[in-house]
Amino acid sequence: MRVAYENRFSELEPLLARVEKPTRYINHEWGALYKPEAEHRCALIYPDVYEVGLPNQGIAILYRNLNEAEGLSCERGYIPWVDMADEMRAAGIPLLSLEGAAPIASFDVVGFHVPHEMACTNYLEGLDLAGIPLHAADRGEDDPIVICGGPSVYNPEPLAPFFDCMMIGEGEEQIVEFCQRHRELRDAGASRHEMLRELSKIGGVYVPSLYEVRHDEPCSPHGYTVPREGEDVQPVVYKRVVKDFGATNPVPQAVVPYMQIVQDRLCVEVLRGCARGCRFCQAGMTYRPVRERSADQVVSAVTGGLAHMGYDEVSLNSLSTTDHSKCAEILNRLNRRLGDTGISISVPSQRLDSFGVDMAAAVAGEKKGGLTFAPEAGSQRMRDIINKNVTEEDLERATRAAFEAGWRRIKLYFMMGLPGETDEDIVAIAELADHTLEIAREVVPKEQRGGISVSISVSVFIPKAHTPFQWCPQLDDAEVKRRQQLLFHSVKNRAVRIHCHDAATSLVEAVMSRGGRDIAPLIEGAWRRGQRFDAWTEQFELERWEEAAAELGMDLRALAKESFELDWHLPWEHVSPGVSRGFLLREYRRSLEGVTTPDCTRESCTGCGVCPTLKADNVLVGERA
Amino acid sequence: MTNASEPTLFRLRVAYPKLGRLKYLGHLELIHTVEQIVRRAKLPYAVTQGFSPHMRIAYTSALPVGTSSTAEYFDVYLTELVPAEFALKLLQGAAPVDLRPLGAAYVELRRPALTAEINEVHYLLEVFVNPGFSVTDEAVSQVLSGWYDQSAEIPYRRGKKTKSLDVRHLLKGCSHRVMPDGRIWLELNTRCDNEGSLRPEIIVAALDQALRGLEPGVDEEIVSTGIQKLVTISSYNVERCSQRIRIDDASEVHPLGHELEAPQGSLTARSAAEALSNL
Repeated sequence: MRVAYENRFSELEPLLARVEKPTRYINHEWGALYKPEAEHRCALIYPDVYEVGLPNQGIAILYRNLNEAEGLSCERGYIPWVDMADEMRAAGIPLLSLEGAAPIASFDVVGFHVPHEMACTNYLEGLDLAGIPLHAADRGEDDPIVICGGPSVYNPEPLAPFFDCMMIGEGEEQIVEFCQRHRELRDAGASRHEMLRELSKIGGVYVPSLYEVRHDEPCSPHGYTVPREGEDVQPVVYKRVVKDFGATNPVPQAVVPYMQIVQDRLCVEVLRGCARGCRFCQAGMTYRPVRERSADQVVSAVTGGLAHMGYDEVSLNSLSTTDHSKCAEILNRLNRRLGDTGISISVPSQRLDSFGVDMAAAVAGEKKGGLTFAPEAGSQRMRDIINKNVTEEDLERATRAAFEAGWRRIKLYFMMGLPGETDEDIVAIAELADHTLEIAREVVPKEQRGGISVSISVSVFIPKAHTPFQWCPQLDDAEVKRRQQLLFHSVKNRAVRIHCHDAATSLVEAVMSRGGRDIAPLIEGAWRRGQRFDAWTEQFELERWEEAAAELGMDLRALAKESFELDWHLPWEHVSPGVSRGFLLREYRRSLEGVTTPDCTRESCTGCGVCPTLKADNVLVGERA
Repeated sequence: MTNASEPTLFRLRVAYPKLGRLKYLGHLELIHTVEQIVRRAKLPYAVTQGFSPHMRIAYTSALPVGTSSTAEYFDVYLTELVPAEFALKLLQGAAPVDLRPLGAAYVELRRPALTAEINEVHYLLEVFVNPGFSVTDEAVSQVLSGWYDQSAEIPYRRGKKTKSLDVRHLLKGCSHRVMPDGRIWLELNTRCDNEGSLRPEIIVAALDQALRGLEPGVDEEIVSTGIQKLVTISSYNVERCSQRIRIDDASEVHPLGHELEAPQGSLTARSAAEALSNL
């Protein structure tokens, strides 16, 4: 018998006074959707605490679409912070949904969002708290169908044994189809195995149990995945894509949290996809093609959404908002409308080559917080290798415009350990940082110089699946530490603040990014040793991962730094965002020669393969500058 | 008051509760939510001048997390006069049920801030006694009157500081009722002024210790931390049930100018209903 769907908030309530931030667990927010009478229930869980998960746009879209569908419902779930998880285990309370405060195990479908690799132990924490068997193979007829999806499913294998189905690509149409089909199969009395076979026929649904890992052709040590003998499934599962993006709801957000959280504002996704083609960037490959909303749609979505939700800030979201062909028009119209209301507009991920005097005037109104740019690499040589088509002049012009317009805090993002990187490239990062501070001191009036802040954040390059760098090794963590020291010593100006990502976390992230199904026991071993919330520095302990690896006879460092031959089968090639292997290979070769590749939304097609493979097209609402 | 260069503002005072699960909202979460309600209600709120413009709005003193209320207030400054009853309807339509405003009225701009005006706060507590302990009406009376007679100073710790609760000064009055099932209803009338205010949890902790024959805060430390674990008392609910502006012993002003009925689902409404059925 399945666990009963019933409200168990009264069991949770006595714990609230004893835990940090009880608002994480209380629900009843403005705009929360609740359909207790629905015939089919899906719970969607973000694998982190409430305040991290709530702003997620992906879950917001699926939550709204499922609740708008007849007969279907969707409730939210999050992973309780360690204090609450321990209290719940001690009190025998299972993981509960927010809206109905019902056991997660009582739902028909339980879905986890896959935001990044470092959430891996939290799926097990969530399943264990819910009382659902960790392995798909151990689940019975009464257990929910456990699925996952999100930006980081493009190497599904390390998580494959824990999920019944993995949803590849854009989920807004797919999740509704999936739940409707599951409801029909359930009502027809289908067995779990029959259901999975049927569900695998939905576009973009990968059912790991119907595939097996082979090693008989040239391949990485992790093998490659093919349909299991006798199973009638696609050899390659292509991602789902929304062809008519303009027809989707521009304000999927419904819930207004009580808690003050980092991204507590209205978000409007103004465009999807980015064709700049940075060679390290997985999102740039997996979110293609590029689709823009019209300026009218964005402006009315912002004004309507603000009035309905009560926010005082709106963010125009996308991978690269300033690339929108009508970006300037949208900002001008919004600034006119929102003039004296105290409401501010923010544009994340500003590109250096499009941030000028006009843009500086158009965003953030009176409130000028920090501004972040991402040159990604210090030297032009390195920026050509990664195809980041910005120049030092772009950086100079953009930072000058920002300081002149009143910004005082500038943050620059860089990566370390990129393919072909030398010590000169590290020193170049330091020089850019120093130069930016010099510009600030030159531009900012003397009496305001105290407010100047220039900081650099340097992450470790991680080779990701379905990018031109997927064959590359990760830089050894000892060498990362040496280059970090080199950077610290190369920055001349003490006023430049330097933040470097932890080499140990990056090591585990690389193993998750590049491994195969053989990595799943490693995740389980780390979780059994107490690992959870790996994305939180204070919760991450490399020793537990090392112990888990040692038990399995694995070496984390060897796994992270193995390079793959160009003719090998890779562990993730049975799922695809539509970008062809040939294109990735060509891009990799061009990177070795330091040759850049243009953006297909500005120049001609670069032959990535997405449009013909997915039968979709770039949709632009105007000419891009 | 207003000079010619400044536009005329209107000060709308709104009474609202904090009930149910929303008693777990922290003060910052609460004010953040109230501002969202005002924006959703589309009231013509005034915005401060300066570097970082924000809504002109002021609140009553922070409630401890976990304490409910039937008597919270905020003053929001409007740039246009919206009939108070209409403004109330708009706010009610934009608020979650557990914060749904109870009343609204305009007050004079020159009046002091809410936190300066309010000097008397009433709390209602529902105290559950642990099985194994039996607490009589007389025992509770004895403890409370004892504190008065001796002008007790109850030491307690808040954070790293040791403080002392002056019972006679801060606790202006106190009544209680022991129910047939052993529960205790306790109503505290507390003073709230520049020198401080009383946190009801300290009284509950002191009562717990006194019922065990200890000298409160001396034999055992009292730590002020919101809801805490006690011995004779298994759990308790606290509600701020009234905030008043007392002028002298005989006269007082209600912050809104008139009394309001306690909303359904509040401790205050339940206590009143039980008192009626026990008559």
